[in-house]
Amino acid sequence: MELLILNGLVNGLIVGGIYALVGVSLTLLYGVLRVVNFAHGEFVIAGSFLAFVLFTSFGIPPLLAVPIAAVVFFIAGWGLYYVLIPRLARSDDPELMSFLMFYGVSIAAAALMLLLFEADSRTIDYTFTPVSVQVGPIYVSTARLVAFAITVVVSIALALFLFKTLPGKALRAAIMNPEAIQIMGVDIVRLSAFAFALASALAGVTGVLIALVFPAFNPFSGAEYTIIAFIVVVLGGLGNPVGALLAGVLFGLAEQMATVFLPQAMAQIVGFLILVGTIFFRPSGILGVRFKR
Amino acid sequence: MASPSRAPDSADRIYFTLTALMGGVLLIYFASVPLLGLNVAFHFYLMLWITMASAFNVASGFAGYMPFGYVAFYGIGAFTTAILVKKAAFPVFLALPLSGVAGIVLALLFAPTLRLSGIYFGIVSLALAGICRLVITNMPEEITGGSFGLQLGSRAHPVQSFYVMMAVMVVALAVILWLSRSRLGKALRATRDDADAAEMMGVNVPIVRLWGWLISAFFPAVCGGVEAWYTNVVDTETAFNTLITAKTVIYAVAGGLGTVTGPVLGAVAMVWLDELIWRQFPLLNLLILGLATIVLVLFLPRGIVGTLLRKKPQWRRYIP
Repeated sequence: MELLILNGLVNGLIVGGIYALVGVSLTLLYGVLRVVNFAHGEFVIAGSFLAFVLFTSFGIPPLLAVPIAAVVFFIAGWGLYYVLIPRLARSDDPELMSFLMFYGVSIAAAALMLLLFEADSRTIDYTFTPVSVQVGPIYVSTARLVAFAITVVVSIALALFLFKTLPGKALRAAIMNPEAIQIMGVDIVRLSAFAFALASALAGVTGVLIALVFPAFNPFSGAEYTIIAFIVVVLGGLGNPVGALLAGVLFGLAEQMATVFLPQAMAQIVGFLILVGTIFFRPSGILGVRFKR
Repeated sequence: MASPSRAPDSADRIYFTLTALMGGVLLIYFASVPLLGLNVAFHFYLMLWITMASAFNVASGFAGYMPFGYVAFYGIGAFTTAILVKKAAFPVFLALPLSGVAGIVLALLFAPTLRLSGIYFGIVSLALAGICRLVITNMPEEITGGSFGLQLGSRAHPVQSFYVMMAVMVVALAVILWLSRSRLGKALRATRDDADAAEMMGVNVPIVRLWGWLISAFFPAVCGGVEAWYTNVVDTETAFNTLITAKTVIYAVAGGLGTVTGPVLGAVAMVWLDELIWRQFPLLNLLILGLATIVLVLFLPRGIVGTLLRKKPQWRRYIP
């Protein structure tokens, strides 16, 4: 039993790291742009498919796919921003309409992946040597450990960027007060485009890591990650990147521990209940800091 | 004109003439579909989507909520009819109204979410629909039929269910037509625009919202029941498919939220387009549905009727 719990803890930490990244990119997007990216899960899964194509067609290992995904998704996100967002801002209720528009993006993206890769679940047949590593009394697959290491590096890099560099500070300032930052002379459109690109890049990288950590993915896996992203983002407080990182790890732990003690379906329901419960009883998230618009 | 206070003013007269005209055309057209040997399946779903989009409009256009888990009501309705008919040997005509009741019960359970607004409401609605699907999927197989779903057996009667669907649509449209002119409808709109101001004017905000919510939940549940009867089979994959929410929302938005004619026009236009596309390119269907949504939000966010009314605000008095 202790072994099972220990296993749950270690896997919870690894899976939680992934969830943290899924959440932090969505929360950045919401915080800066006030758009709800319903297609976030599809962005992530598109990253998994990119890693899949890079490996099966070009023999590029997943580790190298990480920087490639970051660059490809950064550029794609930058372009997508200018196609979608400026026009959206002209509608009566941009925040709610963004939800609807990204609903469309999510359907279109899933359909596109379905056309390109068909509905079968895919896995990347890449193995590290050794296949697994002993951590204390339990064995963890090397792929998962590598993915976790990347998660930690990316999170630290992101935190340093947000808190130590000027563009990062501008991003955080834009989340807190988008009007004031424009008075200070920041070009909000360029900053928003950058935020969209950064969030997309993070999503793409997360997708590559998902291909390492989870056994399989298919064009419709995106919806699952969108829901997880919502849970993490709400739990961490909408628009709060630090909260999202923390909430992701917490939720990963909660979910993995739930699968130890509860049947699979119950564990899924627990996730939904956490989401509904947070919104009702602690709408500003676990940290209780509310980023006002 | 003897007394101007008794005689309906000319705007009202145009309004009622237009309503009667459109309603008459709709009635005669759909009623004659089976008689003329037109495509019953296509028109059955056309009426289903008109009803779904119109009922969704009550929650979104009238009350200002975006229930992204709208499919929950439809799914509950479908399973209620299927279980009652299959497991409890209820006659279909008794099971269908009970589907509506099930929708209302579910809406009452979800009623606390009405104090949320904007995207918080949307996200919670989505999560609750997810919970509904998971709960039904994991119920004992003797009740819900597990992953195989429930077959209703030899009770299918396409023409009968066609006319029942038509009756549901007519009732839904009549209720919404009444709502748009009634005190309740005006209170709902006032609450949507400014809840505090409405409360100040003596509107009982929670009750008004609840009524709107219940009307909005009743019809999709009945639709689910009728569809279960029509297709003869129900399973969680199709009855709780998020695409049902997606289509409902998209059709309603395409026509224009907040008007009675909007969702009807939107459903007619989009279902027809959908059929056209699906016939030509079955594989591209989903992709085009997604792209159509994006284009709609970006270029026609107020829908067909909403855009028209913005250009010609004076028509607002004539168009239902």
